[in-house]
Amino acid sequence: MVEKKTVSTLIAWLLATTSALVLPWGAGARGAVPADARTTELDRRFTGNVRPFLQARCFACHGNGKHKGDVTLDAFKSFDSFKADRATWEDVQDVLKDGRMPPKKAEQPSADERARTLKWVGDALGYLDQTQPRDPGFVPIHRLNRAEYNNTIHDLVGVRFNPASDFPADDSGYGFDNIADVLSMSPLLAEKYLAAAEQVMEKAIVSGDPYRLRVARYDGDALKGNGSGTAERGRLLFTNGQVRATHAFVAPADYEIRVGAEADQAGPEPAKMTLRLDGKPLKTFEVTALRGSPQTCTFRVHVEPGERPIAAEFINDYYNNTAPDPKDRGDRNLYVDFIEVRGPIDAPPPGPSEIEKRLLFCGPADGPEGEKCAAQIARRFATRAFRHPPGDDDVARLVRIYAAARKEGEPFKKAGRLMLEAVLVSPQFLYRIEVDPADHPLVPHPLRDHELATRLSYFLWSSMPDEVLLDAAAAGKLHEPAALRAQVGRMLADPRSQAFVSNFAGQWLELRNLEGASPDPRRFPKFDRKLLGSMRHEGELFFGNVLHDHRSVMEMIESDYTFLDERLAKFYGIDGVQGTEFRKVTLSGEAAARRGGVLTMAGVMTVTAMPSRTSPPKRGKFILEQILGTPPPPPPPDVPALPNKGEKTSMTMRQRLEEHRGNPACASCHARIDPIGFALENFDAIGRWRDKEQTRTGEFPIDPSGTLPSGEAVDGAAGLRKVILAHREQFVRCLVEKVMTYALGRGPTASDRPYVNDICRKVHESDDRFDRVIEEIVVSDIFTSRRGKGN
Amino acid sequence: MSRQIPWISCHPTSISRRTVLRGLGATIALPLLDAMAPAVARAAQAVAGNSAASPAGTPRRLATFFLPNGMNMDHWLPSQTGEQFELPATLEPLGAFKDQITLLQGLALDNAKAKGDGPGDHARSCAAFLTGAHPHKTAGADIHLGISVDQLAAQQAGIETRLPSLELGMDKGGMAGECDSGYSCAYVSNISWRTPISPVPHEVNPAAVFARLFGSNEEDDTPEIRARRLRERKSILDAVSDDARSLGRRLGRGDQEKLDEFTTAIREVELRVERAMARKEVQPPDDAKRPAGTPEDFGEHMRLLCDMLVLAFRMDLTRVSTFMVGSDGNDRTYRWLGLSDGHHALSHHGNNPQKLEGVAKIDLFHAQQFAYFLQKMHEAKEGDGTLLDHSMILYGCGIGDGNRHNHDELPILLAGRGGGTITPGRQLRYSKGTPLCNLHLALLERMGVKADRFGDSTGALKNLKA
Repeated sequence: MVEKKTVSTLIAWLLATTSALVLPWGAGARGAVPADARTTELDRRFTGNVRPFLQARCFACHGNGKHKGDVTLDAFKSFDSFKADRATWEDVQDVLKDGRMPPKKAEQPSADERARTLKWVGDALGYLDQTQPRDPGFVPIHRLNRAEYNNTIHDLVGVRFNPASDFPADDSGYGFDNIADVLSMSPLLAEKYLAAAEQVMEKAIVSGDPYRLRVARYDGDALKGNGSGTAERGRLLFTNGQVRATHAFVAPADYEIRVGAEADQAGPEPAKMTLRLDGKPLKTFEVTALRGSPQTCTFRVHVEPGERPIAAEFINDYYNNTAPDPKDRGDRNLYVDFIEVRGPIDAPPPGPSEIEKRLLFCGPADGPEGEKCAAQIARRFATRAFRHPPGDDDVARLVRIYAAARKEGEPFKKAGRLMLEAVLVSPQFLYRIEVDPADHPLVPHPLRDHELATRLSYFLWSSMPDEVLLDAAAAGKLHEPAALRAQVGRMLADPRSQAFVSNFAGQWLELRNLEGASPDPRRFPKFDRKLLGSMRHEGELFFGNVLHDHRSVMEMIESDYTFLDERLAKFYGIDGVQGTEFRKVTLSGEAAARRGGVLTMAGVMTVTAMPSRTSPPKRGKFILEQILGTPPPPPPPDVPALPNKGEKTSMTMRQRLEEHRGNPACASCHARIDPIGFALENFDAIGRWRDKEQTRTGEFPIDPSGTLPSGEAVDGAAGLRKVILAHREQFVRCLVEKVMTYALGRGPTASDRPYVNDICRKVHESDDRFDRVIEEIVVSDIFTSRRGKGN
Repeated sequence: MSRQIPWISCHPTSISRRTVLRGLGATIALPLLDAMAPAVARAAQAVAGNSAASPAGTPRRLATFFLPNGMNMDHWLPSQTGEQFELPATLEPLGAFKDQITLLQGLALDNAKAKGDGPGDHARSCAAFLTGAHPHKTAGADIHLGISVDQLAAQQAGIETRLPSLELGMDKGGMAGECDSGYSCAYVSNISWRTPISPVPHEVNPAAVFARLFGSNEEDDTPEIRARRLRERKSILDAVSDDARSLGRRLGRGDQEKLDEFTTAIREVELRVERAMARKEVQPPDDAKRPAGTPEDFGEHMRLLCDMLVLAFRMDLTRVSTFMVGSDGNDRTYRWLGLSDGHHALSHHGNNPQKLEGVAKIDLFHAQQFAYFLQKMHEAKEGDGTLLDHSMILYGCGIGDGNRHNHDELPILLAGRGGGTITPGRQLRYSKGTPLCNLHLALLERMGVKADRFGDSTGALKNLKA
């Protein structure tokens, strides 16, 4: 049997890799282009124009036996050889377009020559896009990451307590933490899944009486507040003050609060202690007990459910060592040994919760009746948890767990709960699974509707599909482009799409890293956690607005508005914003020149700086990588150390980097990276505007000007925005590729190119709207189809 | 992301792990066959006569502390030659344990070098440190490394204990951005690898470690409740294994690797549950406190995790552990040491004396926390000596000087007597380029794992016992 499978797989693989393959649908099958005429024409232009161009401009380094940068161009003798290696030609297109090649020191082609070659490369690549079979790629089964797990549990069960926060962090790849290849599984994680399943179900289906009487005791070291912990047990209050414990009261009922206390007595009266609940005084006790023989102060009170602070407060501190009468001298101190809560007292058990009624919608019952009901419960829950209807064997397996538990004497409710726990540890829940057709697994094929629903909901909501989506899938209509577009519109309008904003934007713009940012407090005393929160909020609100308000993605580069609260507005030097509420603020005058778009937001400027200073290369690299999609190569190994200049140099950042660029090993890349970073030098390491830079010997005016290898001048943030706007196509392509990586959960490959080209064209036709980027990705074959993998 | 050409896999895949697993039925430990893990030339097997225990019968323990970004070597290397040495500045906090330390010099991690893969020394130094393997360069697809020495030891030494191994670390992870020059974060944030494709993540929260060790996290848990929970878990895991088997029949070959990873993890948990059911419950000792959570203070956090590790060793809940003080390339700011630049930024010191001083301060701080750990290991009496006497604790980096990113002349020390198999209190100088894997091989031997070769080893490190 194994052999048979291997043979059929091999055949399928051969099918998938030969050019004879004809796709049953999609662009590859159109064949509307009169192939012969087009290829003849492309071949003629190649021989007539392009090859002579290469010979004159490129072969010196990339031909005639030379392979600089592993690129050899004289091997391309005809359009046929071009077809075999499109990746190289995409590189050629890029370097010709932005002027990186031919290198500056070489003689430059005329603008006409360059344009003619570029036109041909564009036409030839376009021809391939339209005629070659396409490959939507392979994504392995996809483990839910932590955010997806938390959201799915919430939507599936109805409890929100983020069990995944204790899971090991998900490793990322290609800049995102939802990459199927990278999301691995370990015994540790399996244990966590098991424990989380128990906790989730214990919360959803409470067994036993949650309102039974319990005693919770908070000893000295669990108490917060004033006082010192020097006492061997308990907390010492040597001056007026209080210690606290926060207790979760579960039921509306009476509780007995007990405080263990003792005192050093002095002065005319005993030590006094006020017991407070929620800050309100309950009773003031006289603590007559001496140190060493504690007393317990008890008070019974009715409390509503919720987390509430209980405080014991010392209110009559006394200290006198000068009184004429020695009796009046002394030091009065209070010791709080513990706070104890007994309760709820005599609370009647609550009925089943709404969640429980929804999950266990039939029963309780015994015998065959009970098993029938258990099967129904299992089927309904698994349908949603697996994101597709379970097989009969799946249901039977779950019912066996129920039956075994009943046999052990467990009640219906507990046995039912165990069954649901098993669903939460099933690979069909923990992984998003797409099954290839058994006969031709390696041939590209459309996803089943419920698989598509799952891709879509994890893309836009980082969670499971809702009923509407599942219904559309069940009706078999979801794959129709119109239905898909309608779903995208609906889902983006749903608050759950905030997950896309925070997970995608948080990683694309690296706003997530604000969490770990630690600007030097001596240099940046203004920076604190609250400001950091505002920074992240600005980025997410802005991004969300472009998405939800059907705006053009180009507003991310330049806009005349942003979102501010009073704290951030003050930080930006913008007047008239009061209070903690964020609002859309129109930028004008100086503020408009400085801010607008995402690039110059304080959050982005902070995560691309060092703790104590800016780093133009870091910012330059960020923009090349995340905004323009042309990451610079990593620095070569064994970079010789910069000569020692001492920490407090008198050189400006620009001077220091220019010296670095004197090294030829660094020069060519830094010529691309640094001018971009310099343009942002007016923003300090926490994104505050500055006109001058501080060095050891004084202040120097910032010079934010520079020239890119293409010859384009960049001057300051406003100038940089203009340059990027002029490279609109490049930015849109970069963003599309990033969103696609996130949407598919896999790294980009060369065969994605035709899909990306199509999507970029359609986005352009719809005014670059960000929601259209998402929509076009979703209706593209790259999203709606897949293939298996041979080995 | 424009120009990422998919990599052609360059590792041998002649036998899939699945094939092997299937052949072995219920065996849980991943066997190492030549074609699967060429690094280990022969299948791991127990050495006859229980050599993983000292003569008195107390088991040996193996722990690794991994430190990121290299060290200030001027403060690490003793000025003396010969076996006797004065503690260099960075190791001064270990003064009380000088006779428990072996300084190993000249060791190298060849597979952390580029070997044509370009930049990414931080990722490679992490990845190669315990595996001795050269990571396949990828940002995600086709991750491939090798099995790490601790996991190999755990296959043998872990059969006896509640947890085969315990992985701890200080980094929560989850940051955005690329990890290191085209390497997936999996290489940067893990030093323990169960298989060439499956990293073993570490636990950061001391409270969660405590709960794992003693299997209880509810306020009113009783032994009966815990026993019942074990039974329930067993029945759930049985069903899940069955579920995975049936799913496997529907999935294509490309998915099997992922499903195998899941199945293996589930089986291992099943085994742990079975073991916990079979033997008497281990109660935390009276002097052990359940941690409240993860302390804000870095030092306190690290010491608390050390407490958990000592506890696990003391109660014989595990015999193998790794502790990642930081992922390599980590740019944590050690503000409390008066430093405003991050660790990685400082490590590229450019011979700037202030930055070098900063690196030395960080190295010293780490050594102080390590001294705390050794102290606790020393205080735990066991059999004819202390826990420290019966342990082998590897402490060091996969990079020598953070500025040069060199992978030879690594700062490496070994603490403990390895149950009488090591004679500490000496510095040992090996010829330049001696593989760190020779040490790994020597440690494996002492943990009762017989292997002829590990990584690029040329033979077990000599002279550890005088």
